[in-house]
Amino acid sequence: MNRLIKTLILFLLGAFLFMRVGDGTVLYYINQRFVLLTWLAAGGFVLVAAGYFLHSGRQEQPPTHAHNHDHGELSWLGLTIVALPLLLGWLVPPRPLGAAAIGNREINVGSLGTLSSVAPPDAGSVMGLVAGEKNILDWLNAFQRQGDPAVFNGQAAHVIGFVYRDGRFAQDTFMVARFTVSCCVADAAPVGLIVQWPEAANLPTDQWVEVTGHFVVGSFNGEQLPILLADEITPTEPPAQPYLYL
Amino acid sequence: MKLEQPDQAQPEVQTAVSSPGAHPYGRLLLALLLVTAVILALARFATGPLADRFHTFTTIFLGIFIEAAPFLLAGSVVSGLIEVFVDRDILARLVPRRAAAAALTGALLGFAFPVCECGVVPVTRRLYHKGLPLSVGVAFLLAAPVVNPIVILSTYAAFGWGPVLIGRVVFSVLIAFIAGLLFTLATPEEALRPTSQEHDHAHHEEEEACDLALAEKKGKAYGRFWQALAVGGDDFMDMVRYLIVGSLLAAGMQTLVPQSTLLALGSGPALSVVIMMALAFVLSICSTVDAFLALSFANSFTTGSIMAFLVFGPMVDIKSSLMFLGVFRKRTVLYLILLPMALSLLMGVVMNMLAAW
Repeated sequence: MNRLIKTLILFLLGAFLFMRVGDGTVLYYINQRFVLLTWLAAGGFVLVAAGYFLHSGRQEQPPTHAHNHDHGELSWLGLTIVALPLLLGWLVPPRPLGAAAIGNREINVGSLGTLSSVAPPDAGSVMGLVAGEKNILDWLNAFQRQGDPAVFNGQAAHVIGFVYRDGRFAQDTFMVARFTVSCCVADAAPVGLIVQWPEAANLPTDQWVEVTGHFVVGSFNGEQLPILLADEITPTEPPAQPYLYL
Repeated sequence: MKLEQPDQAQPEVQTAVSSPGAHPYGRLLLALLLVTAVILALARFATGPLADRFHTFTTIFLGIFIEAAPFLLAGSVVSGLIEVFVDRDILARLVPRRAAAAALTGALLGFAFPVCECGVVPVTRRLYHKGLPLSVGVAFLLAAPVVNPIVILSTYAAFGWGPVLIGRVVFSVLIAFIAGLLFTLATPEEALRPTSQEHDHAHHEEEEACDLALAEKKGKAYGRFWQALAVGGDDFMDMVRYLIVGSLLAAGMQTLVPQSTLLALGSGPALSVVIMMALAFVLSICSTVDAFLALSFANSFTTGSIMAFLVFGPMVDIKSSLMFLGVFRKRTVLYLILLPMALSLLMGVVMNMLAAW
């Protein structure tokens, strides 16, 4: 029985990973570069489950060899713990980190000099991006490299992110935010641009939006930094790849 | 979860309650149902900050688990392959007798078994089964998550060829070497859990029957491969409990304790090292990728603290120290946490003082 349950759990772990890579929601949890690893692991779990099932049947045959030195039977508590990721994975609808998770983290808003800097290994290619293709992280990196917020005055931008606000935001401002992830969501760090829009108060927190506008130098929380004056804001579905990668 | 389960569960639960010594599957079902009910209540019906926190917690927990499970599985399969294909005689012949040479071998063994901090635990346990000396295993356990080709490559990708890469490898080897040397003073019986120890020599005949490498020598390679997978499956199920509890703790800490509180504590030469070590402990991210994360802290934190993050994190974090409990006795696990902690702290602070000087 214990062996059957273990086989089942190994198999279900494989099935769970297959499902998450299959429908793409694995990107809610880990950096894209580890998706191949998850594929391999899903196959690995199924293989190990098969091996476990095939071999454990054979091993139980000789009664003289009945002692279990390291093939420990798991107690009911052990099995419950092992079932936890499956239960959480299947019962809780997959959801990327949102505004609620920012409360626990330091936000990078492009304040110059002081922020925990992000230096992409391929900084050169980012510089070559057309303004419309730059994402939030690209803009923050550009702000940081330049040092002078006035350089960006009038530059057009088109970015996607979710709405975040806290006590520091006025009625007509919010932040369009994303998380950066280098390994898995355990190391997620929020980044965002300050957006000014007359109807900002109508946007619910956590709503994903496409913001089109241009930068002006403004002050936020006592700091001079580029603020995105929105011309158009379109509510949108969360992108398939909700995080930005360092 | 299936909804028809309550009806099926009922008779079994009752037998388990009426006769406590009976099969525990009634309890298992009861526990599963309870957990299912709590999760469903939180996921579907809770609203407001509680629901938000629960979803954040679940996402972070599954993130750590999905990231780490493949590495643990790989380590378990390697462990199974060792069980089936490696003779203990070969191991005994290859490991040096002298204490210093043995500890150094352990610290460099990661080049032979490229595993990260999740995979290293089942492999170490299996090598202990095969009679690996305690000190060599300790040095291997602590050093292998850094001193292996994959992690060296990812550190190189993040920091390039320079003091960070060299320092990370050298100090990891050094700390693991010191810990290994200290553990030559202990015996396997007092340090290891009974299930991790080499089989008793008094039962040598039984031992030979147990030693799958000997018992199945005549078996076909094909059959032995499946056998290795089966052993790996057992190892995985043994260790994954600790990984899960560790991931739950790490996700809970991240949901409840704001990172900004930790980072805002200070950037002094000593305090910054403590903070980055605490961060490494709490985050529990895999050593194969932590260099990229360290990079994002590199400009705002002292060099010594970044180095402590890169050296201490792979050796000890919430999930790996919980997994140690599957191999070592509790007191040994405490040493395995405190020793690298003290040495990494010393290294980081000295490095900062030298830099300031």
